[in-house]
Amino acid sequence: MKGLRKVLTPFAPDQSGAVSVLYGLGGLIVIIDAGGCTGNICGFDEPRWQDVRSAVFSAGLRDMDAILGRDKLLVSKIADACRRIDASFVALIGTPVPATIATDYKALKRMLENEISLPILTIATDGMRLYDEGEALSYKALADEFISKEGSLEEITLGKTPLTYGAGFADNTLDDYRRIGTSTKITAASASGIEAAKKLGISYEIFSSAAAEIADSIPAGKVLVCHDEVFGKTLRDKGVNCDIATFFTLHDEIKGSGDVKITEEDEFTDLVMNGGYDVVVADESLKPLAEGFKGQWIDAPFFALSGRR
Amino acid sequence: MARKAVQYTAAQIRDLGKENIPKELSGGHGLVYSSPATLAYNSPGAEGFGVKRAGLSVPESVMLIVAPGCCGRNTSIVSSMPQYKDRFFYLMMDETDLVTGRHLKRIPDAVCEVVSHLDKKGNKPKVVMICITCVDALLGTDMERVCSACERALGDGTRVRPSYMYALTREGRRPPMVHVRQTLYSLLEPMEKDPKSVNIIGYFAPFEDGELQKILTDAGVKHIRQISTCGTYEEFLKMASANFNIVTNPEVRAAAHDMSSRLGIPYIELTRVHDVARIAAQYQAFAGAVGIDIDVSEEQAKAQKAVDDLKAAFPDLTFNIGECLNADPFELALSLVRYGFKVDEIYATLAPEKFKYVSKLAELSPDTKIFCNMEPTMLYYDVSASRAHISLGKDAAFYCHDIPNIAWNSDVQPFGFQGVTKLMETILKTMKEAKA
Repeated sequence: MKGLRKVLTPFAPDQSGAVSVLYGLGGLIVIIDAGGCTGNICGFDEPRWQDVRSAVFSAGLRDMDAILGRDKLLVSKIADACRRIDASFVALIGTPVPATIATDYKALKRMLENEISLPILTIATDGMRLYDEGEALSYKALADEFISKEGSLEEITLGKTPLTYGAGFADNTLDDYRRIGTSTKITAASASGIEAAKKLGISYEIFSSAAAEIADSIPAGKVLVCHDEVFGKTLRDKGVNCDIATFFTLHDEIKGSGDVKITEEDEFTDLVMNGGYDVVVADESLKPLAEGFKGQWIDAPFFALSGRR
Repeated sequence: MARKAVQYTAAQIRDLGKENIPKELSGGHGLVYSSPATLAYNSPGAEGFGVKRAGLSVPESVMLIVAPGCCGRNTSIVSSMPQYKDRFFYLMMDETDLVTGRHLKRIPDAVCEVVSHLDKKGNKPKVVMICITCVDALLGTDMERVCSACERALGDGTRVRPSYMYALTREGRRPPMVHVRQTLYSLLEPMEKDPKSVNIIGYFAPFEDGELQKILTDAGVKHIRQISTCGTYEEFLKMASANFNIVTNPEVRAAAHDMSSRLGIPYIELTRVHDVARIAAQYQAFAGAVGIDIDVSEEQAKAQKAVDDLKAAFPDLTFNIGECLNADPFELALSLVRYGFKVDEIYATLAPEKFKYVSKLAELSPDTKIFCNMEPTMLYYDVSASRAHISLGKDAAFYCHDIPNIAWNSDVQPFGFQGVTKLMETILKTMKEAKA
């Protein structure tokens, strides 16, 4: 049945992706929720929260705030926090609640700009899309707000967040984003990196360091890689004869004849069981969907998919 | 200017009065800081027994979470526990569902598919809980009607009940954790009373086996039931035969009231406290109310000895106390100070009903500092000014990283003299180990 999950737990949502890009940049991040979404983000999807204090707050919405659309109250809460917290920008992160009540982010931004003198980023995530889309929205917001032609930046990697790379993530600074317009090369380390680079119009290389590390250990044969698209493409570039299946974005420039974007559990099962593959490279949380698969399974941990560190 | 976390001393709060508790301490007025405590209680499915685990307290039940993906994301933590294998299922909502509400029509089919899937594995559930979230709260979804449609679609007697994970209503009249308790006990049907049966209700994990059960057994009670110790759905249904309910958590009060009016089961409340004299007085009052004789002198002496042993070993022991623990932090602080220990800092939201503890604390320890986990300036909390030797509560470890911590937040609930004894012994052991 479409949308029914009997084995897998939900994947990292867009709002977690959005925060993942912004975390640690010195902004005041406001998740427009009642508290549950913030609990999921800081308490689960954001490993840096345990070690690095960052100004991530829940808007603390209550039912009547949402029903009555109390934007003025929200603006007043944020302005109050800005007077007491040092921040270089304010980012508003959408969740299902503002999506349901059709919050006008442009109006919120204007109202906030009348109250505080910090740059305001609005990220219209809704908790129903996937993390890579949220990451791409944050990259776009950063570029729209901060990009300048001053300074110089030789190279920057985009899309190497903990959600795709786990402990192997790489942080950028706000200054990197300010100078990103002068960059001569972007390394797109995951789907969101490709999306961001395309929007910026800067040439980019598609490369996953995590995939490169395991490329030599993949045995010969027909291989199915189920991960982020860049992970799959890097294996292919390293000589692995593979098809890519991904639950996340699959860009046309990566998509080969055997590659497929999947959504449902059954699609993955069908692919593995009937695709004639000798090897599957995927997070082992997918294994129960392929009971009876006779080939070799190589575990490729993918936090956004399994929540497994 | 250096930023600092907002704090008030117990004496300052007492002087301001119950009606003027500073808004920085009572929470709910501004943005909410992402501390371990707020991530747990502000997010009703996040940690411990949130709505999701609580909803599955009924034996032989499964849960279908009907929500945007983000709401079920952290369920993978719970799903990995062996007792929850094959018990969580998801019907993912998309943006079209949000606009059209079409997901509601798919729920009966999804429930049938889940039940059929489990039936084929020889694991057919007796109850399906449907967990919905903030989105459906705002859409005004009538879940009773949806659940009835599911029961009709199944047509085999399997019960389907709603479970509301509405973070939006956390401070409302029926917050999620109150509501879920009402839902669970609403499954009970009237049955013949057994005068020798008693229920202990309030938590989703069992009370630590011992004291309270012994008191009841000595009084002639044959069946002491807790939702967590019922092995089967049939055993759970026998909770409806109880002579009375013992309420151990205010969040179950509404459910107890429902059971009183619907099933004719009266209830009596017991509060978890840490002052040995108060525990004794509460047990005597309980015995008087239910008409039994009890002798708890042995347990009382044991608890007092545990306090005395800790005091002898560490006479100047100073605590910092959080709110993610199996205790009321203000009551615990007051009890510790009454025992002669010191409490330097408390990290907890100060609700008006807690003012009585702070007021008394101010008489004995006026300089005890109180912080609120929700307050945005907790971003700047600096532990270096604290003189504490040990912290209590899982969240306190987040702030006090260089001193020993006792999380004291197990699922199994400590209570009474037994709870005090174990807490004191654990503190003593931890401090001795830290000193070594």
